[in-house]
Amino acid sequence: MTRDELNAHRLIKEAQETQLRSFTRRHFLKESAMGLGALAMGSLLGGCNFGSKSSNPVLYDPAHPLLPKSPPFLGKAKSVIYLHMAGAPSQLELFDYKPELMKMDGQDCPQSLLAGKKFAFITGVPKMLGPQASFAQHGQSRAWVSENLPHFSTMVDDVSFLKAVSTDQFNHAPAQLLIHTGSPRLGRPSMGSWATYGLGTENQNLPGFVVLTSGGSFPDAGKSIWGSGFLPSVYQGVQCRSEGDPVLFIKDPNGMSRDLRKASIDAINASNEQEYANYNDPEILSRVAQYEMAYRMQISAPEVMNINDEPQYIHEMYGTQPGKACFANNVLLARKLVEKGVRYVQLFDWGWDAHGDGPNNSLNIGLKNKCRSIDKPITALLLDLKQRGLLEETLVVWGGEFGRTPMMENRNGVQNPYNGRDHHTDAFTIWMAGGGIKKGYTHGETDEIGYSGISGKVDAFDIQATILNQLGFDHEQFTYPFQGRPFRLTDVAGKVIHDIVA
Amino acid sequence: MTLLSIPDLIGRFHPVLVHLPIGILLLACLFQLLTINSRYAALRASVPFVYLLGGLGAVFSSITGYLLSQSGDYDGDMVGLHQWLGISVSIISLGVYLMYRKKVREALLNLTAVVLIVLITLTGHYGGSLTHGSDYITSALNDEGKGKAAVPPVPNVQQAVAYTHMIQPLLKNRCYSCHGADKQKGKLRLDTREFILKGGEDGKAILPGSAEESELIKRLLLPSSNEDHMPPKEKPQLTQEEIQLLTWWITEGADFNKKVAELKQSEKIKPVLLSFQTGGAKTAEAPGDVPAEEVTKADAALIAQLKQAGVVVIPVKGNSNYLSASFVTAKATPEILKLLSGLKKQLVWLNISGAGLDDKGLKMLSGLNAVVRINLSNNAVADQGMASLKELKHLQYVNLVATKVTVAGVEQLKDLERLNSLYLYQSAVNKNDVGRLKKMFPKVNLDFGGYIVPTLAKDTTEVKPPVSK
Repeated sequence: MTRDELNAHRLIKEAQETQLRSFTRRHFLKESAMGLGALAMGSLLGGCNFGSKSSNPVLYDPAHPLLPKSPPFLGKAKSVIYLHMAGAPSQLELFDYKPELMKMDGQDCPQSLLAGKKFAFITGVPKMLGPQASFAQHGQSRAWVSENLPHFSTMVDDVSFLKAVSTDQFNHAPAQLLIHTGSPRLGRPSMGSWATYGLGTENQNLPGFVVLTSGGSFPDAGKSIWGSGFLPSVYQGVQCRSEGDPVLFIKDPNGMSRDLRKASIDAINASNEQEYANYNDPEILSRVAQYEMAYRMQISAPEVMNINDEPQYIHEMYGTQPGKACFANNVLLARKLVEKGVRYVQLFDWGWDAHGDGPNNSLNIGLKNKCRSIDKPITALLLDLKQRGLLEETLVVWGGEFGRTPMMENRNGVQNPYNGRDHHTDAFTIWMAGGGIKKGYTHGETDEIGYSGISGKVDAFDIQATILNQLGFDHEQFTYPFQGRPFRLTDVAGKVIHDIVA
Repeated sequence: MTLLSIPDLIGRFHPVLVHLPIGILLLACLFQLLTINSRYAALRASVPFVYLLGGLGAVFSSITGYLLSQSGDYDGDMVGLHQWLGISVSIISLGVYLMYRKKVREALLNLTAVVLIVLITLTGHYGGSLTHGSDYITSALNDEGKGKAAVPPVPNVQQAVAYTHMIQPLLKNRCYSCHGADKQKGKLRLDTREFILKGGEDGKAILPGSAEESELIKRLLLPSSNEDHMPPKEKPQLTQEEIQLLTWWITEGADFNKKVAELKQSEKIKPVLLSFQTGGAKTAEAPGDVPAEEVTKADAALIAQLKQAGVVVIPVKGNSNYLSASFVTAKATPEILKLLSGLKKQLVWLNISGAGLDDKGLKMLSGLNAVVRINLSNNAVADQGMASLKELKHLQYVNLVATKVTVAGVEQLKDLERLNSLYLYQSAVNKNDVGRLKKMFPKVNLDFGGYIVPTLAKDTTEVKPPVSK
């Protein structure tokens, strides 16, 4: 026996022993107890659904989890591009024009605004801070946009603004989770997961839910904001890169041919299928489907995700920076993905947390630079989708996780070195465009200093309900059974914002 | 909390407590009747004790019930009936217990058991009617009522009497069950003019002419999580249109006799009013995305073959027979197009972008009469192919981006009456013909694309922090 043969023999023996070890007496008792219990439980619970009128079948087919499905109602939008400015951009320097606030600039904040309120950093009595940008009205809809977004200001007639969005979370991670998963705590599926769970995806060679990040850092809530929660894991967002290979290790390594790759995936799948025959866990079938998708993706993803084959004038339109990971590249990529039938593209751009604690976090420096990095790309995205006839069926959403205070931040009672604002939950702006949303419309209004909404107030659940509505779902009927009850993206809240639906 | 509210608090336990004696007494009656059969003789010993328990429970329920009825939220007549039935149940059950002690005849005991069952049923029924409304059970029979509009569609909304034909039915279907003849929660009734204007224990419900100040509207607009929100969140809610209708009616003076046409109407309220007209209620689905008429199911084998070939064919929604087809990962080969042309009546949305389609292929699709949206972009189709679209009268959306179609081809689409968007970016249409096409298609949203986002100095530079602070 050669040394290699001996090693192989040892390996096989060890594998056999491991397998035998899993059938101990304890194992038998555990399995049979659980099995009998589960049988009894099943027959008991079977009665619970008796006579129920629920018509929410589980849409998950483990062998073909991403096959395209029809929504229960006619959807206006076939795909969604969600542009999330992580860190929360200041509505007061972008869309919510408050001349009254200018008059209060530098004054102590009135007690009435502080009583009973909690802020992330503000303590004591902060000073009021007037708008740090000049505003003008644009388009036929006469919407206010600041000088920080000169390109986007030409697009207001294609957009519906939500001016009085509020949240109940004043820290980044929970607020981001709330917007994207419907709960400030971990464990719920994200909106993109719900969308791909309900609709599958048109292109079986690409993931249905793609996530792209820029700004040099991940969003604070981490990967959970594109997680699948209790939905089968196949519906989680697939994070891709706009620089280098779109997915790490997507290329076959040297010496691995396409045939060999196929053979190895077939072997892995065969063994997984055997495992499924033993355990009947549908997640194993998902895994099999994912291996197959990954194999197909190896060919199609580099092709679709390569923005270099776009003509020069498109690059100029978006203001891309080839070879770099940046927001503009991600936005162009988002358009390409939607064109290829990807259902939900989620972009996160980090760096909008303008507290005023440093130059890059200030309203007069950092925020302006962030605006410059997104202004051209988002404008180009809307125009490009429009000229391709895709804006009609693509819903574009732009927003952050909360707003910013009309007060200047005084961290621990001391004035910050630069002009900045603290986290604010009561009022901020989000806009939507395309996908059956009204054009040139503003819904909701804030008070004279932009502190809270006074009409048309909406929250994260209303936005989720509206997005699902545009995709053809009734958010109250779209559920998934988990822990013995049906779960919704919008939990027990949310109303479709009919005012912005065309 | 004042001392006075304690009886009120105890009264509120009535709906919970009441189920105990119902269950216990029915059990006692059942045991008694079972003992007729000698097999169950063993139960006999327990019967008096169960009667005693049930009887005591009934007494407690009667007391709490009496306290609850003092809140004044309930209709007097029905409360009276329920009250006396309840009291008689308590008395009879305790009486039966005494009968056992006196060892009366079995037949008499059986008779009282039957009487008691009838009495309990009646008491329970009237009690239920008090909480859920007298039409609670019958409403399950005409189940359709649930999803139905609270305001039945009127034939001509302008000629309708605002109150009688619209407001009253709305109040009847959404408010009367708690604020009507049977029940007056918060001492408020909304079923006649006098009661509406009188208001309830919190004052006036409506202030004619000022909807924002009217308590009724305020409560409708509260978030449903607020406990003052009306209707209570578990009850059917008013739609946006219905709230707007009420708001408008109150703003215009809450008149009980005038016709809609006689009241002032803003531009905003007109479409809302129109939605209450017969046939105008369907606002959710824009007419035309899919033809309104029904269609037979497409051949399942045909769909399966198309799917096999990589074409995504799915119904446009849940259980519709209308289909959408997408060639996102498929090529438009003659074989596949031939299959596709079999979906004549059912195919309404077709995305065949970048699938290698040419004029010859497009000709094969000229019989797809039902198509509403067609995306032909990124294909080698040209003017000749446009002739194949001429007869597709339902077409609303035609995407010719990056095709070889020129103005001559586009011209052929001018008789498509429903056409509302036409995309011509990167087509072969000459810039000079743009004006001509715009004249030819006055109602159509023509998009020639080619948008430019200029690069400003600010786009490529950054704001720098001051050098020294």
